[in-house]
Amino acid sequence: MVVKRALAIITLLIIGYWLAQGLAGVPFGEDKMLVGQYYLDNVKQQTGAVNAVTAVVVNYRGFDTLGEVTVLFIASTGVGALLWRRKKERTAKTEGSIVLTTGTRLLFPFVMLFGAYIFIHGHLTPGGGFPGGATIATAFLLLYLAFITYEIPHRGFEVTEGLAGMNYVAVGLIGLAIGGYFLFDWIWQTWQFGWDNVGRLLSGGFIPIIYTIIGIKVGTELSGIIDNMLKEEVSK
Amino acid sequence: MNALTVIGEVLVLLGTFFYFLSALGLIRMPDVYNRMQTSTKSATLGSLGVIVGVGIWALGTDFGSAAWLTKTIIIAVFLLLTNPISAHALIRAAYKSGIPLWEGSIIDKYREHLEAKAKDEEVPEEIEETGEGGKE
Repeated sequence: MVVKRALAIITLLIIGYWLAQGLAGVPFGEDKMLVGQYYLDNVKQQTGAVNAVTAVVVNYRGFDTLGEVTVLFIASTGVGALLWRRKKERTAKTEGSIVLTTGTRLLFPFVMLFGAYIFIHGHLTPGGGFPGGATIATAFLLLYLAFITYEIPHRGFEVTEGLAGMNYVAVGLIGLAIGGYFLFDWIWQTWQFGWDNVGRLLSGGFIPIIYTIIGIKVGTELSGIIDNMLKEEVSK
Repeated sequence: MNALTVIGEVLVLLGTFFYFLSALGLIRMPDVYNRMQTSTKSATLGSLGVIVGVGIWALGTDFGSAAWLTKTIIIAVFLLLTNPISAHALIRAAYKSGIPLWEGSIIDKYREHLEAKAKDEEVPEEIEETGEGGKE
């Protein structure tokens, strides 16, 4: 046991030293931007977003985001497939105290509102679809934890999840039809919608639209994962 | 202008002082319940001071605007509403999972209440008088 632990510590130290040696060649605090400078210089007129991160994630490297959404979808489907049982019910025994249930009832709409705020304002403020969607899933997690019988409306959630994913691809395909490549920002580049509006809500090309889709998708997906994991098989 | 800055600075200072007190209470107090008592209360109050203080402080500076104060007040209200609920849930979970009170504690009304309730349920339905008596 002791030998095992000592060996593990020594191995980790060696790996850590090796990584530190590799990082020692990178100068700290110096400007090493190659592509980054291009993004910072052109993000406003090319995408209309003030938040450079979301512009890169949705616009310049939209394929990555599509891949991430796919990964989440596969995770949700995988959990659903792994925990698939014919009869599953929630088996929570004790309801939360009245303070908890009342607090949850009061907080739920505010958490939902804040989640929607995050993903709608992805092109202006930090955040975007993934944090907003996770916040919305947190609201549903609150309901699950406070009430013993709560269940998300399954049919609606699963259909919404699929529709949101399809809409993302559809937005990309419209870009393909209009601009010549997948995920082309047709709202900004072709329609020139919001050109005089940079920095306000109605700007940013298709970033708010994509992020609304992603937020809804991530929110429903994570809620579905929570739902699957909280349920147990019942022997009735 | 400057009065706002001073008020903000004082509020932030007070808030950090309460943060310190709450950390001190976490070390100093003997059991879970006392620790929760000191830490959650003073941490909530300290956060309110720091958060609203920053908003007022920003009003006094030349880069600040009313948006700062609005945001900080929203955050403060959210924290004020959620912190006690989480503390309540934590303490209740601690009690339910059987963490003992400090050995210096004298009275535990909640256990008496729980025991009375359990006794109530044990008593068969025919003898209602004793069941009622057990409750009181």
